Amino acid sequence: MTIIKENAPHLRRKATVTRMMADVLIALAPTLVFSFVVYPLNTLITYLLSVFIMIGSELVYVGLRNMMPKDGQKHSFKERFLYAYKGKITPNHFLAPAISAIIFTLIMPAGAPIYAVIMGALFGIIFGKLVFGGLGSNIFNPAAVGMVFAKLCFGSQYNLFVSTWYYTVPDVAAGATPLGWVNGGELASINNYSLLDMFLGRIPGALGEVYKITILIGLVYLLIRRSADFRIVVSYLGTFILLTLVAGLSVYGLNSDVNPFHFLAYHLLSGGVLFGATFMLTDPVTSPINSPSRIIYGMVAAVATVFIRLFAALPEGVGFSILIANMVAVVLDHYEWSNPRYTWKKFLGMGLLIVIPSLVTFLAIFYGGVYNG
Amino acid sequence: MIAKTRHISDTKNLTGSLPAIRYVDPKFLYLPLTNARCTKYEIYIKEGEHVNCCQMVGKRIGPFFEQPIHATCSGTFVGIEKHYHRNGKLTDFIKIENDFKDTFDPEVKTRTPDEIAKLTKEEITEIIKNCALVGLGGSSFPTYVKFQTDKPIHMILVNGIECEPYITADHRLMLEFPYRVMDGLKYVMQAFNCKHAKICIKSKYKDIETVYRQVIKEYEGSGIELCLVGNYYPQGWEVEMIKNAEGIQLNTGELPSNQGIMNFNVSTMVGIYKAVKYNMPVIKRFITITGDGIKFPKNFRVRVGTSIKELLPLCGGYKNPEKDKVFILGGPMMGASVPNDDIIVSKTVTSIIVLDKMDYVEEPCVRCGSCVLSCPVHLEPVQIMNAVKTLDKERIKKLNPLKCIECGLCAYSCTSKIQVTDYIRKAKMIAKL
Repeated sequence: MTIIKENAPHLRRKATVTRMMADVLIALAPTLVFSFVVYPLNTLITYLLSVFIMIGSELVYVGLRNMMPKDGQKHSFKERFLYAYKGKITPNHFLAPAISAIIFTLIMPAGAPIYAVIMGALFGIIFGKLVFGGLGSNIFNPAAVGMVFAKLCFGSQYNLFVSTWYYTVPDVAAGATPLGWVNGGELASINNYSLLDMFLGRIPGALGEVYKITILIGLVYLLIRRSADFRIVVSYLGTFILLTLVAGLSVYGLNSDVNPFHFLAYHLLSGGVLFGATFMLTDPVTSPINSPSRIIYGMVAAVATVFIRLFAALPEGVGFSILIANMVAVVLDHYEWSNPRYTWKKFLGMGLLIVIPSLVTFLAIFYGGVYNG
Repeated sequence: MIAKTRHISDTKNLTGSLPAIRYVDPKFLYLPLTNARCTKYEIYIKEGEHVNCCQMVGKRIGPFFEQPIHATCSGTFVGIEKHYHRNGKLTDFIKIENDFKDTFDPEVKTRTPDEIAKLTKEEITEIIKNCALVGLGGSSFPTYVKFQTDKPIHMILVNGIECEPYITADHRLMLEFPYRVMDGLKYVMQAFNCKHAKICIKSKYKDIETVYRQVIKEYEGSGIELCLVGNYYPQGWEVEMIKNAEGIQLNTGELPSNQGIMNFNVSTMVGIYKAVKYNMPVIKRFITITGDGIKFPKNFRVRVGTSIKELLPLCGGYKNPEKDKVFILGGPMMGASVPNDDIIVSKTVTSIIVLDKMDYVEEPCVRCGSCVLSCPVHLEPVQIMNAVKTLDKERIKKLNPLKCIECGLCAYSCTSKIQVTDYIRKAKMIAKL
C-alpha cells in the first residue's frame, strides 16, 4: 500500500460517456429492429456496410494517429501494430462510429444503391468526423454529412418506392414521397397518405426514420436516462410546430380546403423531423455547450428545416438543417458571448428567431405564391 | 448523463450517529509554526523549558496579520520536527511532551455572566484576536478581522451545513455541545448588537433539528431561530447559504457584511464561546476519520496537535491494505491530499478521509455540458479547459476563471472523467499574471 497524492476533487460521478453512448444505441435499437423486419435485405446490407466502414475507418485512424515514430531501426509489423493499438482502444472507438453508422443506415432511403451507401458512409466518417480529430472534435454530425453527400451525388439514382409486406406502393403515389408532393406545390395531395399510415411508417421514405412509434420510444428512453438534452428536443420541435402552424394558417387563408392542423401533422410526421430531433440534433459533440445556446441551436435548426421544406428546391430539409445548426453551434460557443446565464439579449434573440421566420413564412405563402393550389 | 449535479452521495451514515471518542491525552503534541497565510514565525520559549496549557509560545507572522501560537497542553518543549500540515506541505512543528497535569496559564480565567454582559464589541474583538481564533470550518481566516467591520449587522448566520460528503465533525459538535453553540452565538449577537440569528442546517438532519428545537426554547426572546436549508452541494458555501436562508444573492466577491449579514461556522461559534467565557484558545476539536480505506470509521474529540498516526490504530487501521490509498484532509471535494500519513491535527482539520485510489480512464471531452450545468458560479469549465490547452491568455481572462470557488463539481460531474478542476486552477494562475 502506498499513499498517493492527487488533486481535489477525489470523488467522481458514476455516469460515463460509454454509458451515454450505450443509451443511444439502446434507444436506436427498436427502430433498427423494426426496419430489419420491414426491409430485411436492404437494411442488413446498408447496416453491415456502414458499420464495417465506419468502425474500420475509426480504427485505421487510431492506428495512423499513434504511429510509431521513425527512429532509424527496423521494426516488425507486429511491433508497429502493438505500438499503435495497445492500450489506445477504448469502448468509445467502437460505440461512437457504431451510433453514426446506425443513424446513417436509418436515414438512407430503402432503395439506395450500394455504392451510394459505401460512398456516403466513407465520406461521412472521414470528412464529418476524422479530419476534425475524432471523437469530441467534430463539428458536423457524421451521419448527416454522409447522408447529404450520398443524396447530392447519387440522389437521382435512388429508387424511392420499394414495396414490402408492410407497405405496398399505391398507384396514386407513383411519383413522389409525401414531402415530394407538397414541395411540388400540389397541396391537395396531402390527402394521398393518411396520417395514421404516416405515423405507422406505411409510406415511402428512408429505412428507419419513418417509424414514428419506435422513434418516440427511443426519445422517451433517452430523455428518461438524460442522455439527450431535452432543451434541444423541445426547442426544435416547438419552433417547428409553431412555424408550420403559421404556414398552415397562411395556406388556409388562401385555400380553405386545407386544414392547418392536418398540414401541421403531415409535416411533423413526414420526413426526418422526429428522428433528427431525437438522435441527430441531440448529439452532444455537435451541439453548443450551455443551455441558452442549446435552445437557440434547436430553434435555428427548426427554422432551417421549415424554410428548406417550404421554399427550397429540396423536399426534405432535416439533414441540411442539422448541418447548418452544427455550424451555428460553433458560433454560439465563441468565448466572447458564450455564457450559461439567460440574459434579456438571449431572450430577445429567441423571440426574433420566432417572429421573423413566422413573418417571412406568412408573407412568402400569402403574397409570394409558394403554393398556387 | 446530461444533467445538473447537485446531490452527491454523502456517505455520512458511516459516522453520523457514532459518539465522538475522547482521545485528549497523547504523549506528544505538535504545533505548526507556519501555515498557508503566515510564512514566518518567532518562538518565545527555549528547548527543555516548561510550558503551561494555553501559554503563548510563539507567533506566526504573515503579510497582513499575526497569529499567536498557544500550547495545547502543559509539558516540556522538546524541539522542532517536520510533519505534514493540513495544506499538504511539510512544515516545522513545535514538539511538546505532555505532563498530563493540564496546569493552565494564568491568562485563562472564567468570566462571570455579569462581566460578559459588560463587554463591548472592541473588547470581544481583542479577546478573539488574543486567542488566535480562525474560521474553523476550514478557511482558517482570522475571525477578529470579521469583527472589525463597521457595517451595521442585522443577521448572524451559523453554518452547520457541512455539505461535503463523509464529514460529520460539525454534526457531532452540534449534537454534543448545543449549549456552547447557543452561548457563543449569544456573545456574537451581543458584540454586533444584533437582534436576529439563524442556525442553518440541512433539512435532512432530523437529529440536529430535534435537539435545537428543544434547546432554543431555553433561549426564548434571544431572536435565535433554526433554519432548514437545502440538502445539496455546495449548500455550505456562504453565498448559497445566504441565498437559501435570507433570499439575498451576493455578487461575486461581495462580503456578506455589505448586506448586513455575518456568518460563522458552528465550530468557530464554540471557539468564540471558549474565548469569551474562559479566555481560552481552541485546544480541542472534533474530527472524523472515515472513508472506504478505514476499517471502522469513527468520530474523535482530540487535542489540537495530536498526530493522526496515533488515531489510525483506534479505527482498526486500513481496510484492504493491498490497495493504494488517497489521504485527504478536509472534504473529498475540496480537501487537500497529502503524500504521507504523518499528519498533525491542527485547529482547522475537520476530517481525515482515506479512500481507495481509483484509476479513472480519461476519455476525450464529448461536450455533454454537465460541468456547465453544474457550476454553481455559472462558469463554463470546458471552455476554460480548452483555452488553457491552447494557452490563450486573452480567452482565459474573458472566461473569468477567477470567479471559480474550486468546489470540484465540474470534475465530479464530468462524464469523460477529465480532471477539469485542475485546468481551472491553471487558468486562475494564468489569469492572475
